[in-house]
Amino acid sequence: MRTLRGRALFFVPALALLAVFVVYPVVNTVWLSFFTSEGQFALLGNYGEVLSQPEMFDPRGFARGFPYGALVHNVMWIVIHLPLTAGLGLVLAVILREIRGGAIVKSIIFLGMVTPMVVGGVILRFLFDGNVGILPSLMSIVGIPRRTLTAYPDTALFSLILGSLWLWTPFSMILYSAGLETIPDYVYEAAVIDGASPMRAFFAITVPMLRPVTGVVITMTFLWVLKIFDIVYVATMGGPGGASNVLALQMYMYAFREFDANSAAVVATLLMLVALAVSIPTFRSVRGEQP
Amino acid sequence: MRRKVVFLLLTVLAVFSLTGLAAEKKLTVISGWSGPEMDAFMPVLKEFEKETGIRVDYQIYRAEDLAVLLPAQFDSKTAPADVIFMWAWFINKQAQNGHVLEVTGALNESDFVPGVLDAVKSGGKLWGAPYTGKIKPGFWYRKSFFKQHGLAVPNTWEEFVDLCARIKKLPGVRAPIASGNGVGWPLSDVTEHFIATFGGPEMTRDLIAGKVKWTDPAVRAIFENRLAPLLKAGYFSEPIEWTMAADLWWAGDYALFFMGSWITGMVKDPADLGVFALPGARGLVFGTDYAFVPAYTKYPAEARKLLAHLATRGQTLQVAAGGHIATYTGAPLDVYPPVDREVAALLRGREALPDLDDTIGGEWQPAFWDQLKLLWVSPDRVGEVLDTLQRKAGK
Amino acid sequence: MRSMGVFARTRSSTIALYVVAGLAALIWLIPFLGVFMASIRPLSEVLRGWWRFEQFNPTLRNYAGAWNHPAAPLGQGMYNSLRVAVPATILPLIVASTAAYGFARFRFRFRDLLFMAIVALMTLPQQMIAVPIYRIMRGLGAVDSYVGLVLVHAAWGLPWIMYFMRNYFTTVPVEVEEAAKVDGASDLRVFLQIVVPMSLPAVASAAVLQFMWVWSDFFLALILVYSPDKLLATQRVPLLRGVYHVDWGVLSAGSVIVMMIPIAVFAIMQRYYIRGMVGWTSK
Repeated sequence: MRTLRGRALFFVPALALLAVFVVYPVVNTVWLSFFTSEGQFALLGNYGEVLSQPEMFDPRGFARGFPYGALVHNVMWIVIHLPLTAGLGLVLAVILREIRGGAIVKSIIFLGMVTPMVVGGVILRFLFDGNVGILPSLMSIVGIPRRTLTAYPDTALFSLILGSLWLWTPFSMILYSAGLETIPDYVYEAAVIDGASPMRAFFAITVPMLRPVTGVVITMTFLWVLKIFDIVYVATMGGPGGASNVLALQMYMYAFREFDANSAAVVATLLMLVALAVSIPTFRSVRGEQP
Repeated sequence: MRRKVVFLLLTVLAVFSLTGLAAEKKLTVISGWSGPEMDAFMPVLKEFEKETGIRVDYQIYRAEDLAVLLPAQFDSKTAPADVIFMWAWFINKQAQNGHVLEVTGALNESDFVPGVLDAVKSGGKLWGAPYTGKIKPGFWYRKSFFKQHGLAVPNTWEEFVDLCARIKKLPGVRAPIASGNGVGWPLSDVTEHFIATFGGPEMTRDLIAGKVKWTDPAVRAIFENRLAPLLKAGYFSEPIEWTMAADLWWAGDYALFFMGSWITGMVKDPADLGVFALPGARGLVFGTDYAFVPAYTKYPAEARKLLAHLATRGQTLQVAAGGHIATYTGAPLDVYPPVDREVAALLRGREALPDLDDTIGGEWQPAFWDQLKLLWVSPDRVGEVLDTLQRKAGK
Repeated sequence: MRSMGVFARTRSSTIALYVVAGLAALIWLIPFLGVFMASIRPLSEVLRGWWRFEQFNPTLRNYAGAWNHPAAPLGQGMYNSLRVAVPATILPLIVASTAAYGFARFRFRFRDLLFMAIVALMTLPQQMIAVPIYRIMRGLGAVDSYVGLVLVHAAWGLPWIMYFMRNYFTTVPVEVEEAAKVDGASDLRVFLQIVVPMSLPAVASAAVLQFMWVWSDFFLALILVYSPDKLLATQRVPLLRGVYHVDWGVLSAGSVIVMMIPIAVFAIMQRYYIRGMVGWTSK
């Protein structure tokens, strides 16, 4: 029967699960963020309190180097990771199209994506270790003294960022691959006939046509970088001296090491706000495609 | 007739199942020892099994992980084991919250080294039992290595620095001192050794009690004038996973290795081992392992028995395997392997100090480790490290 | 895959292309190779550099060690992970597909708003629910149980699966369903007997992605499961670093074992995996 009740049943299980396990906790977390650990209502005061902690933001970093605080570390991570992953993904997608065996190479590259992040952390720790890792040995060939890159404040975060690139670029590559497939040949051929050099045609025509894909890559990458936890936890635990601390890890420390649920809620809510802000373009496009 | 047979069968079944249930009693012990350390511990448990017929299972869990796990479990009134080895400060804290089974009366205070039970006593009640301890006596070296290169044990600070400089010049040696790193200890052990040597046992105790600040000029002087210069001169290696560091040190990549006395049970040739403390050290860290029974154990009586066994007979068995020093006075000296007798001798004329970070504990402990990891690779940041340590201690 | 002719097809440029591709393959292979080497070779060889082959004594001892490790036996861990991942894939698939069909076909007020709200949930970091979920589970007595973990994973997967399936459903032509409805079939019947069989590829993609996601999860498991017996495979990997005894060999072997399942799934279901990713993130 096409009753209203019958139709509502389609939604009930989903909405019930979401309400209990997602919506309520989210609201609860936001609520917690407005209270201090003593239970006093502080609204934004709590935010100020947390943001002034050196673990979150450490202006001394600008004088002496890492750590700069989890907030700055995340910003650095995004600024470095985003353009590189988008660019690399595109380049790889293009190149691997042109050669024989490209599909095999793509599958190999995809290993990065398939790896659980925890294992990724182990791989990174191993890769950068001064004694057993291959990277320091390679670097010693060009004269850089061998050392465990994740043990030094000035290189710890960058090592992890490099590792995260290794893990995430396959995603960008796959999306661009799919996107390239959808561009009709005639657009491209027309430009070439008109006398444009292949390279020029690529940049002037293909790349702009890939803009929706780029949009998705940027949004998803941003969201992923914001949430990075596993690899830091396993590889450096935020060290040394907090030099590779990130917001997700700091939230965990507040919640489960210091048992300070309120500060943890502040960090989580901040993460949420940034995530929502970044996703606004996606929302707009979802709205545009309602049937 | 039929009914009688059925009745008999049921009785037999009932008896079987009851005895089955009785034999089902099983105790679980958790500690952080794995590898060769675990192998040395198993005979202690086997002996208890033999004596009482109660099966004992062993599971490995790092103290750092337990510190996160246990509070949550205790909150839900469960426990992962019947006897758990943990830091003394942790046992006391959990006892305050009612999560620990009281064991007053299970142990005779006079059977143990004076004062060792204090760490797990509070409110006049005993909450845990001491096990063996390990001394962290100083820098270990291979006697063969020293002989080969004509090196001698230093008797003054200057001689020590000199020794490091000489070793650094030796070909094939990466650095004089291997810096072992677990999650941050033994870096903390080295640091405590320096504090105890140049600040004296009083400074160690005052820092633990919070009577002296980390930013105090006397404390700072030790870091700046003793530890940091050695770090800056490259006499310490960068932090390496400490079991790997032990392997590399044994192989000759490094000459000195600061480690606890348990290393005697871990190397291939203990007779080749030598150790010296920093010249002038008046106190050595004697770290006792403690164990407790969670209040939520299913078998409180048996667990108490196991705990008592570990603290007494267990210790005697354990020290025979090497690398442990008993806190149980009932363990005769001749049970020790020769190297360990030497180590025990080191303690003579010196004070036994509690392990600083194990005693302060809480969230300060991992922060301490993390800061030391930073200090080791950035020795110019002494001021900042001490500031952070003091800030965290004040919380 | 037709060539776009971006690069002039000279000999040197072709070689350059292959070099770059080869380099990329190498860059992605080497980290794995390193860990793999550490897992089959004794530590003493690895300490001198796993890329050195003067001594090569492969052994499977580390795998046995990891599988049966006293602190973190991976055999048990893998089994536990399956016990979580399978229900946590099936449950949300059923619940979300049903709701997604509703969003795709039924019209009602606030439908679009509600859908947008659910899509918004997709973007949230897990940290947002960590502490309250822990407290809820504690209240329910479901801490350290798989039921709780499965429910959370299921709920967490709902937003993106709903988004994904709804998009798929909108591409399915309505005519077949309408014909059935004219014949008097109920909504549920139409959904189960007509639409679902037609949507199996999409379901497969969603299933693969959700399974991989749950299998790889570490954070939620870290918060909700702690009995040594119950730890999942991903949790055991860091524990293989034992207190006093870090054995890179065992740690590497453990990592390889944990990786095997996602790699196997990927190898078999590659097409669905990729379609799933491309599908649910773009229009």
